[in-house]
Amino acid sequence: MPVLPRFDTPASLPELGEEDRASWSLTVAGIFAGLTPSFPQIYDPTVADTPVDASTVDVLWTAFPARLLREASSQTERWERADDRKEQDEYCEWVVERRPDNKITRVIFTTEVPEYFEQVAASNEELLLELYHSMIGPDVQRGDLFEGATYNPSNERNTTTAGRIAHLAHPNNTLGAAVDLVANATVPRERNGVAITTKQALANCAGLGDAFRNSDPQIAAVVNGAARAGNELTLQDPLGLYIDNIRTSDLTTPDDTPAASFWTVERGKPGHILRARFEVPEDRGYTVSDIQADGRPIEFGAQLADRLTIRITAVVKPAGHTPEVKQCDG
Amino acid sequence: MTQTEPDVTCMAFRNLPPGELEPDKIHRFVLGEDAEPRVLDAAAAAAELADPFATLLLLQGTFPRTAGEVLTSLDNVVKEDSPLRARMFFLLGEGSQIPFTPETASVNRNLRFVVATVGDRGPDLLLSSFTPDEGDVELMAWDEVTGGFNYYRTVGGNSAWVFAGNSRHALQEPTEGKGPFESHPSGNFLMKELRAPWLHWHSPDAPITPSVFAENNPLRNHPWFLQLDRLGAVNCEAKAARPSIVRWTEARFDAALANAGTIERPARIIHQIVDTPTVNLITSHTEGATVETTGTIDLPQTFFIDSEALTERLGLPAPPTFTVSSNLYAQSLRTFGVTLTDGNGFARPGDTHFAFAIPERAFEDQAVLNEAIKRGVLTERFAACLLMTDFPNPVFSTRRAQLLRHVPASASIVNGASSFSEDMANTIVAAAEGAGAESPEGEFAARWGVGDAWKEQFGRLLNDYYAAVTSHLGSQEGFDAYFRLAESRRERVRQMPIFESPLLFAETNIDPAVRVMRSDGTVQED
Repeated sequence: MPVLPRFDTPASLPELGEEDRASWSLTVAGIFAGLTPSFPQIYDPTVADTPVDASTVDVLWTAFPARLLREASSQTERWERADDRKEQDEYCEWVVERRPDNKITRVIFTTEVPEYFEQVAASNEELLLELYHSMIGPDVQRGDLFEGATYNPSNERNTTTAGRIAHLAHPNNTLGAAVDLVANATVPRERNGVAITTKQALANCAGLGDAFRNSDPQIAAVVNGAARAGNELTLQDPLGLYIDNIRTSDLTTPDDTPAASFWTVERGKPGHILRARFEVPEDRGYTVSDIQADGRPIEFGAQLADRLTIRITAVVKPAGHTPEVKQCDG
Repeated sequence: MTQTEPDVTCMAFRNLPPGELEPDKIHRFVLGEDAEPRVLDAAAAAAELADPFATLLLLQGTFPRTAGEVLTSLDNVVKEDSPLRARMFFLLGEGSQIPFTPETASVNRNLRFVVATVGDRGPDLLLSSFTPDEGDVELMAWDEVTGGFNYYRTVGGNSAWVFAGNSRHALQEPTEGKGPFESHPSGNFLMKELRAPWLHWHSPDAPITPSVFAENNPLRNHPWFLQLDRLGAVNCEAKAARPSIVRWTEARFDAALANAGTIERPARIIHQIVDTPTVNLITSHTEGATVETTGTIDLPQTFFIDSEALTERLGLPAPPTFTVSSNLYAQSLRTFGVTLTDGNGFARPGDTHFAFAIPERAFEDQAVLNEAIKRGVLTERFAACLLMTDFPNPVFSTRRAQLLRHVPASASIVNGASSFSEDMANTIVAAAEGAGAESPEGEFAARWGVGDAWKEQFGRLLNDYYAAVTSHLGSQEGFDAYFRLAESRRERVRQMPIFESPLLFAETNIDPAVRVMRSDGTVQED
């Protein structure tokens, strides 16, 4: 494959005009530009070519925040905690809508990165408002989203736990963070002459954030393994974090309707899902909470997050690097 | 075993004399019923075997020699959209995180593949094989007619297939505990490491990479390895192991209650609640290699308490997150000389890939508890009283197991309710009068005597216990005692048929001994 002419929008979203698509590509290129001088084994595919013998590697993880598996004391506690947006740090966030009797009517999941919305805000405020109207509701005002002239990705309308969601808002859940992680993970590490290769050990050794998350340590270990072999890496275009699939085989509905039929993709395309909802149509006469997950009623969105797989795809380009091995930090 | 006693272990199959099995024939060798393998003619085989493996292949005269041939043979006879063609490939091995190097070349990593078909109620077919293109295949297939899984295997490269029993044989004399039911004691699919982080299984938490194979090992590029399920153990647990266990448990209760609601031999059910017929393995989420630097190590709650039953099923207070500091854990590793070794030249100081591997009450036994309550065989209060007897020892409790002496001969269920719980409780309480307050019966009687306030009362007991454990985890002496207790439980597992490799656990210098947790959080050493 020759040099990529430009970065596509996440999931090739069609809503941007030509000029704005070019701006988005420059935004992504800017992320790479800040890293490639320091990390010779990552590359910007709009600058360097991706040859035909390059391969792709899917890195997958569960949307449920893995930290809580070791921090929460019971299933109910971990689900309850995970439904708080502040806990959702696996490049996937969700919100739960409930009826007055507390039964869940809808759970919306997203992996859309804030950088994209910042780009939209900078170039097309009208489109940003349209997106918020369609995702959250028609009552969203410009003033809800901007602080002066600057778009605030952590605005109140987008950070609620109950209600609707526009895009990722947790500080760890950005495209920049993911690319930065990939770059830093290209550096081989060792301690006392022993190569550090496993997820948690690598995260601790290289200071790559919380070792008990699902996502970052998993991405880092895969990237590190490829980089140790001298390869160069990038992320597959269209760059983004994607919902890979939801497991519904162990969900039991009151009328035996396959639970998969309640899963609707709202943004993205097959293979590149950015936003989806789990919702029972009103005419069924029951709610999400009337569905059993592993024998228990769904009382939390996190019970679905347990079944959701997130993906990022790395591109591994054969190269002849002899990477410098670094000692562990600290 | 004397010369005259027949071998009824799994080894009976491997030790069959050459020529004992006729190629391209179905043999019946259900240990306990069959003294030796016997060829089933077509009518006899059709009468006993109604699973898809038998009906689509064996009864049609197709006798694959390898696991790979099983799949290709099925491909030849089922439609493209058949669930039997939707397959998941998994890989596990006790040495699966030991890269292949000249120094580790001789390590037996015990790597084996598991293949499961995809089905709404779990897989109809599961097979296990060390090498896809060689013999010694083990296969389970769901039989819709009789209910339960039919167990099959081949021996060596022979194309003979041996029917070794059905799940129901695991539950009844004279076949109980024999042959495949040594390691599948209740007739279920066995996934020892059933919960995250799935020590020994390929998963996102611990991928099995090509580095585990020698450069010239053809498995590196074998299609089964290249198409391993992307989530590995995550899906094996959720799509194969748990649903297949629930499926058999439900079928088993359906069959048991079909006799006008009378369950004969309810002791078989209570056995799985108060005793430890088998275990699952659980670990910390912390990698063994990081215990010295990570700050705190989370310890599995189920080492201390059967929280799956007491909290998740019966609604009693949840235990706190039990943790120990890196300093204390690391010191215990040094004190006890913890080393991962194959006993054959490979030795690496430290713990298993994930730290603190211990046995916990098996999911298949939890499923029986759930089903027994759901069907009205047991009341929640009675189940809680059983499990609160010697509650600090969730597995291998000889005290709790002694309650088995008091199980009535049968149980009657009418309209989803039964007097069984009350009857057995009364029997135990009566026995307690002569046995004393310190006896298991006495302990049960005290629990039962609380009456309807059991949740509050048991909650107080548990919270006191949790506080005591948490306190002991703060000192080296306290944690060392728990480490020794853990080793005693591991030693029990080493004596079980599911122990297949010395790399299952790390070794220690701790003397074998019976150790028991007390309700004050201290460990009694006999």
